[in-house]
Amino acid sequence: MTRPRRDPRAERAAARTAGAERPRYDLGAKASASRRPRRDPRTEAASQRVPGAARLRLDRSQFGVVPVLAAHAPERPAEKAPPKPVIVENPDFLVLVAPDMAGGRLGEHDRQLFGAARELAGKTGATFALVGAASPDLGPAGADRIAIAARDPDAYDPDGRAAEIVAAMRALDPRHVLFAESADGGDLARRVAVLTGEPLFADAEQVSASALGRPARCRKVEQRSAPTRLVTVAADCVASYAGAPREARLETVELSTDRTGAAGAIVSARLIPADPATVPLALADFVVSAGNGVTDLDLFARVVAALGATPGASRVLCDAGLMPRDRQVGASGTVLGATCYFALGIAGAPQHLQGVADCEHIVAVNTDLHAAMIARAGLGIIQDAQLVMPAILKELERERGDRP
Amino acid sequence: MKLVVLLSVGRHPVSGKPALPRTEAQAIRIAAELGASIGLHVGPDAFPAEAALGHGLDRAVHLACAGGPDPIGPLVARIATEAPDVVLAGRRGQGGEETGLAPYAVAARLGVPIVPDAVAIRPAGDGLVEVDQALPKGALRRLVVRTPLVVTVHPNAPAPLPYAFGKARRGSIERVDAAAADLAAVAPAPEERPYRKRPKMMRAAGGSAADRLKAVTGEATAGGAKILDGPTPEDAAKEVLAFLRRVGVLAPAGAGATGPTA
Ligand SMILES: Cc1cc2nc3c(=O)[nH]c(=O)nc-3n(C[C@H](O)[C@H](O)[C@H](O)COP(=O)(O)OP(=O)(O)OC[C@H]3O[C@@H](n4cnc5c(N)ncnc54)[C@H](O)[C@@H]3O)c2cc1C
Ligand SMILES: Nc1ncnc2c1ncn2[C@@H]1O[C@H](COP(=O)(O)O)[C@@H](O)[C@H]1O
Repeated sequence: MTRPRRDPRAERAAARTAGAERPRYDLGAKASASRRPRRDPRTEAASQRVPGAARLRLDRSQFGVVPVLAAHAPERPAEKAPPKPVIVENPDFLVLVAPDMAGGRLGEHDRQLFGAARELAGKTGATFALVGAASPDLGPAGADRIAIAARDPDAYDPDGRAAEIVAAMRALDPRHVLFAESADGGDLARRVAVLTGEPLFADAEQVSASALGRPARCRKVEQRSAPTRLVTVAADCVASYAGAPREARLETVELSTDRTGAAGAIVSARLIPADPATVPLALADFVVSAGNGVTDLDLFARVVAALGATPGASRVLCDAGLMPRDRQVGASGTVLGATCYFALGIAGAPQHLQGVADCEHIVAVNTDLHAAMIARAGLGIIQDAQLVMPAILKELERERGDRP
Repeated sequence: MKLVVLLSVGRHPVSGKPALPRTEAQAIRIAAELGASIGLHVGPDAFPAEAALGHGLDRAVHLACAGGPDPIGPLVARIATEAPDVVLAGRRGQGGEETGLAPYAVAARLGVPIVPDAVAIRPAGDGLVEVDQALPKGALRRLVVRTPLVVTVHPNAPAPLPYAFGKARRGSIERVDAAAADLAAVAPAPEERPYRKRPKMMRAAGGSAADRLKAVTGEATAGGAKILDGPTPEDAAKEVLAFLRRVGVLAPAGAGATGPTA
């Protein structure tokens, strides 16, 4: 036996508190450092207590905040400084990235594109993003260098954009050039491929430094090859970059393009937004949805029309026949891709929340402070939906009246 | 207006039998409604030409060659002699490499512009056509483009006309051997192996079941929320409208119409 023998008597004597007439022992302080810290259910419960409520309420999600006795609480690390950006000073090679950045913002697909680019660049390479406008998100997304394209990002000029990328390829000589396999990115990649005459590895689903993989022949076979120069990356197949933020150093690149051939063939381009009232739910950009807490559906329809939104509903209303089935949001209805979701009187059952998981911004009106929909929302309003809806109509009316 | 539709041999995704890709059948409908149009196919098989007649064309050209070579050379040569206003193609092939590069290569070799993802084409007078291009989220871009041009068709275009046997019998197929000078070998295909389905990427794979549920419902991304407990309905309305304007889904106050009532 190598373990020293315990002496309970001496341990107890050491825990005796001085000064008291009657022997008193502070046994809580006893547990040795090598042991697992001792839990104290009483302090745990006290730390989970929601302040202010008349009735005892415990917030169980606070579990682990003060899990151990104060005497054993580990040293809290000092306030963490924001992580230093990773700098690649002299990259061995470059990976050029052409994100879509619709509306000047980095989308999910763009982030995955940077994830793929970082995968190809490894430790010694650098990712180089050619963007229409700088964005603070580029560094955290995984861009080592950025350059701003000279062209107007809102004009429709795919040939000009392709010529610019070819110019950047000439100036930087990147080892890989990555595009998103989206409507715009896929088009751009194919234009660049025919301009440079290089093969394109389209729709890559697996990206690693050693091999790329893509589906072909109706997804019956998978084609693999060593990373080629031009690659388009499919959506939702590659993880976005999750490491420390990169530097996103701004550089200037000579982007002189010699526009020849078909330049100027496009006489005019006009954007026609989708009609929100008739667009399918899955395509809608802004959805206003009613749940069991909404009783006046005529009023709801007027609010939806006034906001210029697409109507939606929870399953309760669709089951009751108050809303058509194709308006149901959720696991057994439609999964939305909207930018903003406005939920009126919806509790936020998991089956409903699955349908709005991809929505960036959520507004919820509910009478219940503890509804899951309110917990998920970016703006939660604890009020009767039947009162808020006419107030919104009145407010819009007033604004229109104020206009000269 | 004179149109050419590029036809390829597709495979049915389930049965694996030869089938005309759906976007090409949609292209045939667009072309047939616009004017005199012919179908054009390069390859060993006359099947796409026959299918095209059944779906609504009166005439198809089959440039026969042994299987394997690059179809771009013969396609470009024939299109140059036909001199059409608009060349229509599918967005991607189906059952082959599925890279969607062929229309771009044809446009580059002809030196004409290419417009991808069209759902409708209308003549706009005097050497111009109006092309409606499908964008994500149901939006459209309406382009006015100078002819000649190459257009690829988006799956959201009007559904193809049904196959009619009598129409396929009445139409004519012109079979020509492709000039050997136009034929070039294609780059060898990369290594192939059976397709393996991989698990879908999850936003944040957490440790516990509760974490995974949060990842599915999006609660993991929630945070920085603003909760108003019991505001007056008027304050609530102002707050909601301000939020909607901040995230950019509602036009700013006084900036004109939002919705049909405005
Ligand atoms: C297999 C399965 C699949 C399902 N799929 C779906 C699906 O796809 N989509 C879906 O939505 N549901 C689905 N459900 C149902 C889901 O579980 C819930 O029952 C449903 O979402 C609840 O709808 P609700 O929030 O509108 O109603 P309720 O749960 O009744 O909630 C109403 C909410 O409104 C609030 N409220 C009440 N009065 C007012 C007022 N005057 N002003 C403001 N707020 C008020 C309440 O506080 C409450 O939070 C599915 C269920 C199952 C079992
Ligand atoms: N052999 C061919 N003959 C005529 N058209 C073709 C041929 N191959 C491809 N195309 C056209 O090019 C489109 C895209 O094909 P792909 O580049 O193979 O994905 C197809 O939808 C056809 O319209």
